Amino acid sequence: MFGLNKIIPVEPNINFLGLRKNFLIFSILAILVSIGLLSIKGLNLGIDFKGGTLIEVSTKNTSIGELREILSSSYGDVSLQEFGNENIILIRLQNKSNQESIETVNSVKSLIQDKVIEFRRSEFVGPTISSELLFRGFQAVSFALIAILIYIWLRFEWQFGFGAVVALTHDVLFTLGLLSILNVEFSLATIAAILTIAGYSINDTVVIFDRVRENLRKYKKLELVDLFNLSVNNTLSRTIMTSLTTLLALVSLFIFGGEVIRPFALTMIIGVIIGTYSSVFIAVPTLLIFKFRPQDEDD
Amino acid sequence: MKNYPIWKSFTVLSIVLLGIIFAIPSIIYDENSENWFLKNKINLGLDLQGGSYLLLEVQLDVLYKEELDNFADSIRLISRDKAAKIEQIVIKENDVIVTFADINKIKDIRDSFFQMYRGVSFQINNNKLNIKLNDDYKKIIQDSAIKQSLEIVRKRIDESGTKEPLIQRSGKKRILLQLPGVKDPERIKDLLGKTAKLTFHIVDDENASAINNNLAPFGKMILLDIYDEDIKYLLNKRAVVGGENLVDAKGSFDQTEGHAVSFRFDTEGAQKFGKVTTNNIGKRMAVVLDGVVITAPRISSAITGGSGIITGNFNAQEASDLAVLLRAGALPAPLEIVEERSVGAGLGADSIAAGQIAAIIGMVLVCIFMILIYGTFGALANVSLIVNLFIIISLLGTIGATLTLPGIAGIVLTIGMAVDANVLIFERIKEESLKQTKVFQIVKNGFDRAMSTILDANITTLIAAVLLFAFGSGPIRGFSITLSLGVIASMFTALMLTNFLLYMYLSISNKKELKL
Repeated sequence: MFGLNKIIPVEPNINFLGLRKNFLIFSILAILVSIGLLSIKGLNLGIDFKGGTLIEVSTKNTSIGELREILSSSYGDVSLQEFGNENIILIRLQNKSNQESIETVNSVKSLIQDKVIEFRRSEFVGPTISSELLFRGFQAVSFALIAILIYIWLRFEWQFGFGAVVALTHDVLFTLGLLSILNVEFSLATIAAILTIAGYSINDTVVIFDRVRENLRKYKKLELVDLFNLSVNNTLSRTIMTSLTTLLALVSLFIFGGEVIRPFALTMIIGVIIGTYSSVFIAVPTLLIFKFRPQDEDD
Repeated sequence: MKNYPIWKSFTVLSIVLLGIIFAIPSIIYDENSENWFLKNKINLGLDLQGGSYLLLEVQLDVLYKEELDNFADSIRLISRDKAAKIEQIVIKENDVIVTFADINKIKDIRDSFFQMYRGVSFQINNNKLNIKLNDDYKKIIQDSAIKQSLEIVRKRIDESGTKEPLIQRSGKKRILLQLPGVKDPERIKDLLGKTAKLTFHIVDDENASAINNNLAPFGKMILLDIYDEDIKYLLNKRAVVGGENLVDAKGSFDQTEGHAVSFRFDTEGAQKFGKVTTNNIGKRMAVVLDGVVITAPRISSAITGGSGIITGNFNAQEASDLAVLLRAGALPAPLEIVEERSVGAGLGADSIAAGQIAAIIGMVLVCIFMILIYGTFGALANVSLIVNLFIIISLLGTIGATLTLPGIAGIVLTIGMAVDANVLIFERIKEESLKQTKVFQIVKNGFDRAMSTILDANITTLIAAVLLFAFGSGPIRGFSITLSLGVIASMFTALMLTNFLLYMYLSISNKKELKL
């Protein structure tokens, strides 16, 4: 057989746990910076959560400047942005009352009618809806974390559940921090991406934990640190392989999937990288807090 | 084939075959096919095929206010019958507080009132009667308002010629509309934005001072003209007859008046209308739509035939839209659009094309990668991956799920994640191959060892997907559906199909040793 998988040795012996202090400091800093960014700069909330009006048009014989001129004389708070290519323009307006916004859509459309080939999309999210969507998104992420915690708790010992949730919380905060720095639009699709990241990261963590559990039974005499190291090494090639195939698919989605899906793909790419990192460097070292031996072996 | 049960091969192959066969309708995608088999295709969501999503909220506050006004009017009537003097009536947010001149008749009035409005709460405090619109009563108003609104919205949408609309209640006071293929949501929004409450009232032209002082006496009201706000009418509050008595309305053309709406009353309406017009010849009759006067022609003769026309400065579209509204009936309360998402067919088609390209390229990249890393085993995993994609498509088609843009993203993501189970198995096989030499035993152990890990890992992803479905809305649900189906399909293809393919390969190639 001619596989290239021999690049990664069958039994690699990298001292991941030895590096744990450095990575722990890195992650703590990253989390602190993320929390800081989230509370000071905040997220670039999209129309789903901020409410407002969004119109996407494809144009002919005009420029974004010309459209801006036409619209800004009637609307002070209008913002325009090229979307993918210079003939496709996104027009955003701040939220007003429901009735007013619906009328705004109509009048914006009639103002630029003769410059436009097609109104590709128009969205309006009223003030009550946007706050409901935000609340539900928050709810979904929290429930997902709790449900995963419970599942891990049932399948493993509770210490593993704790480790998994520490890693997950780390992933979510870190990803949000990066979204804030990169100014990626935060929409309903981002919530979906974050939940999927949670699912993915836990998937990664579970695979390693599974091995930890197996090795705990197998090597009763081994030092915990060495045992954890062994487990990470055992699963290393799988961890790398799966992350790479997932990233391949996501990069393809990012490049070819179209403008609308791009923020989603970017969020997922960030999340998969962070999730893989945290499974190895956060979830496993967290287990060191607990003494699995000798008590565990006695019963 | 060594030790591979026939029933197992049969099951695996049947599922694969079914997966491929039932993916055909979605791949051919004949939009108008009535064929029982080709009908099992994926539904495209509004964001892919173009269309409008609207969320409407019934303005219940208007109804509550109306009901409180009714309470006040009824109390006035009862008090007048019983010769009780009212000092003051105050209408608050949820209460009507009536102050009587004397305390004697309060209980009597309350009892009469209670006969009319059961379920309302009362409180008597000296000479004050407090009528409360309690939550139970509100809920009754709310439920019937939503039910009526749903019915009327449905009629209006049907009349507008929209194909396959989805209209359903959403939460306590909202109505959700999905209108596939609607190119002009503005017209639909106009149709839904009107309450379309039509009533006919006799005009009181003898009390000019009331209009000048802008103060309507009891039993009368002042309304404005639809075209000219300076024109005011003093009308009898009580309607002669209303839109509920209409049996038909359509746009028509009148030689002298231009575009008009002609209508016909039912028997009851025709009788009422005939009687009132007979008794009021020479007076004016106002046609009131949603609280403004459209027209107020003078009654020149009794109209007993039960039909007539409404004229105004309509154009053809306005006249026919008004006819649609009148035919469908009035909404119990105004509807407010709280969310709208409309996608044109162009963007939808672009999204599908982009999604397909992303999926194909992602697939090719992952396949190349798997072959580079695992060689022949990788190629076998790729067969599983492709079958996996077919199974997802056929499941989406047969359960009639809706594919959205995030749904496509879910499929592309699944392509990347689906090989995970294969990777887990191969890595275990690799480890096992160091321990022993019996080829089939290695493969068997590899699968057995990987099993619990695969289950754990996939179930956690499923948990996230199910919660997304529970809390998500619209397009996001599409994502959670494809992700869940992808996870389930990938477990099957890895644990059953890859397993089958490996045994096949090993027995045919007759390998004596296994080095991954």
